[in-house]
Amino acid sequence: MEPAAHQVPGADSAGETGDAGERGGMRGIAALSLPARIFVSIAVAVVTVGVAFHVAMVFLQTAPDNTVSKRHAEVVDSYVYPEFERNWKLFAPNPLQQNVAVHARARIAAPGGSTKTTGWVDLSAMDGAAINGNPAPSHTQQNELRRAWEFYADNHDEKGKSYGLRGRLSEQYIKRIVMLRFGTELNGGSVERIQVRAVVTPVAPPEWGDEKTDSKTEYSVQPWWQVTSADLPGGAK
Amino acid sequence: MTEDVTGEGRYAASGADVPSSVSGTEPGASPGSGSRADPGSGSRRGPGTRFQGPRVRVERCVSRGLGKVTGYALGPYQTAIVRIGFGAAWLFFLLREWPHRHELYGPDGPWSFGLGKQLIDSNHAFTVLMWASSGSWFELVYLVAMAAAAAMLLGWHTRAATVLFMVGVLSLQNRSVFMGDGGDNVIHLMSLYLILTRCSQVWSLDARRAHRSRSRAETRTEAARTDASAGAHGRGGNAPPHAGGNSAPPHAGGNSAPASAGRSTASGVGDPVAGTGGVVLWAVLGAILVGGTIAGAMTTGWTLFFWALWVANAAWWCVNKAVAVRGGSGLRELRTVCDILANLAHNGVLLIIMVEVCLIYSTAGWYKIQGSRWQDGTAVYYPMNLDYFTPWPELSHLLAGNGLMVFLVTYGTVITQVAFPFTLFNRRVKNVLLAMMIMEHVGIAVLLGLPFFSMAMIAADAVFLPTVFLVWLGRRVTVLRTRVRGRLPGGDVRRQPVAPPSPRTAGSEDPAVPASAPVGWPGDRTG
Repeated sequence: MEPAAHQVPGADSAGETGDAGERGGMRGIAALSLPARIFVSIAVAVVTVGVAFHVAMVFLQTAPDNTVSKRHAEVVDSYVYPEFERNWKLFAPNPLQQNVAVHARARIAAPGGSTKTTGWVDLSAMDGAAINGNPAPSHTQQNELRRAWEFYADNHDEKGKSYGLRGRLSEQYIKRIVMLRFGTELNGGSVERIQVRAVVTPVAPPEWGDEKTDSKTEYSVQPWWQVTSADLPGGAK
Repeated sequence: MTEDVTGEGRYAASGADVPSSVSGTEPGASPGSGSRADPGSGSRRGPGTRFQGPRVRVERCVSRGLGKVTGYALGPYQTAIVRIGFGAAWLFFLLREWPHRHELYGPDGPWSFGLGKQLIDSNHAFTVLMWASSGSWFELVYLVAMAAAAAMLLGWHTRAATVLFMVGVLSLQNRSVFMGDGGDNVIHLMSLYLILTRCSQVWSLDARRAHRSRSRAETRTEAARTDASAGAHGRGGNAPPHAGGNSAPPHAGGNSAPASAGRSTASGVGDPVAGTGGVVLWAVLGAILVGGTIAGAMTTGWTLFFWALWVANAAWWCVNKAVAVRGGSGLRELRTVCDILANLAHNGVLLIIMVEVCLIYSTAGWYKIQGSRWQDGTAVYYPMNLDYFTPWPELSHLLAGNGLMVFLVTYGTVITQVAFPFTLFNRRVKNVLLAMMIMEHVGIAVLLGLPFFSMAMIAADAVFLPTVFLVWLGRRVTVLRTRVRGRLPGGDVRRQPVAPPSPRTAGSEDPAVPASAPVGWPGDRTG
């Protein structure tokens, strides 16, 4: 009933004799010369410490802020980021309870020299239409605009003022997504400026519950942005 | 301990051949259960065992544990299914996104090369896509990422494939980090871990190749039996003749653990064709690495990491070659030490993978307990009403419309996630919870439109699947494949005996099996 029955012994002595149980590996080590045994012991120690350290770091990154993780935040962050990060919590502590839609409109330079402004276009609704009835939605439909807006909102204050590098990057990212979907020509004129707004609609509480929340839709309108060649697909290498 | 020897040998054979005979005992159900005392060994122990003091028992326990982590790459089926699962998830994802690949990761996508460069300059994430802004470089990387995923899925030169898989995953994901979701994140983590595991011991082309070259060597050995001294060279002199397999092809990355470390009977090297392929592959990788190092394309840490991997594999190949050509006890010992190191790395990383999966669930559970919606039993209602996660609105609203159902799923999710790590101490409960979590992820795949996220999570869960189940699953697949092949007009019956490692033949990949190969082989012939 050894678990090892299905396992592959590496040490040759175990493999040959089929002594796959408690003695096989030990004989493998015991059969080694002294230097080899010392080397293996060191390796066991190194792997043990390494595994313990890695597990500790990963744990401290995922656990809530606590005494230890706050004290060693620098070590933890420098070890875990950027490759061992875990950035999602499976709808915890609460699932998202609002639909965030991104709308955009454009100011167009018509051929006659006049300018006109288009109506708001619900870009998220276009994503939704693509997802509807799709067993495997693309990341371009499900994540691109949704996560770009999260990125933007995280790096801008209420009035649309950006924080540092990430704020600037997120702004240009949004502009490029909008321009990819609008194209440079719209309604017979060329797009000169664009404006974006987020429309946040709380999910109505369940009918079977007795909860009554205010389901008022909120708009967060961003300033007009000048479109430059860097915002067009193919621009801004 | 000769009785132990035969006992183990017989068991190994019957376990590989007729797993149903051991159902319920689940050998190696979870790799972590390896340290558990088994009823079988208790009965084999002499009556004196009972009177041993606690110190002796602790010593026994430690030495047994040490023997296992150095002598074996534990959980061969579990690591294989994790490898296959993640290879498939990433490959299918890349195939699905083929039409959208430029928009997601291309230099002219909305997250342009320039934007990506500025962010990566600040967070130092690894991506080869920053090496050049040309479209053809991007296409090449995307194709290599797909090829690596396919190779890892099939277990073709797995050591190299896992490294390329990781390079592909990190390159694409880090290039456009805001395109990803939780599924990408878990693939990202596992791609790093899989590199250090011996995940192609079963269900892989590497295992099949090692198996074939071993049987070929056996034929040769049989022919050379007149050289009796070679056969008697085995330890204790009672080694079965067929245990004299040749050295495994080294480029199999040590994934096929050698049955017998370079005994002189092997009279040669592993599969010469496969050997050449592996050498060419690693030479190409080495050349790329030299170029990358000279160009200073990677950070110091990554450069050292890749060089360490390359040197380790080259050393393993050299040691195997030397053992096969020259033999000698010193070389054989060196090889055993290398093998022990590989096993240690495998087992350490396997533990990390298991801890990581536990952490994913338990931290998710702990955070959920703090959430008011999970407390009042309505949490599951909300995702069912998010426009981005309702590909089948009618279905979602059907579930969301039933308060009792929503409550049960909400509480069930939290209970399962919080409890899971602790159920590892009880196989039956663990398996029930595992099944529930896998079912929930299947549900998420359909209801929330997250098939690749779900595939990745199920692949991660699979590390805890019981061996008996995996062996059974593998056998079903083999039966199915044989049936399909038989129905095809070109179905070649002669190929069946050397079919890729099926669960039946998989047991034969286990070098413990040669000791009892006569029992293990019939499955191969029929399978």
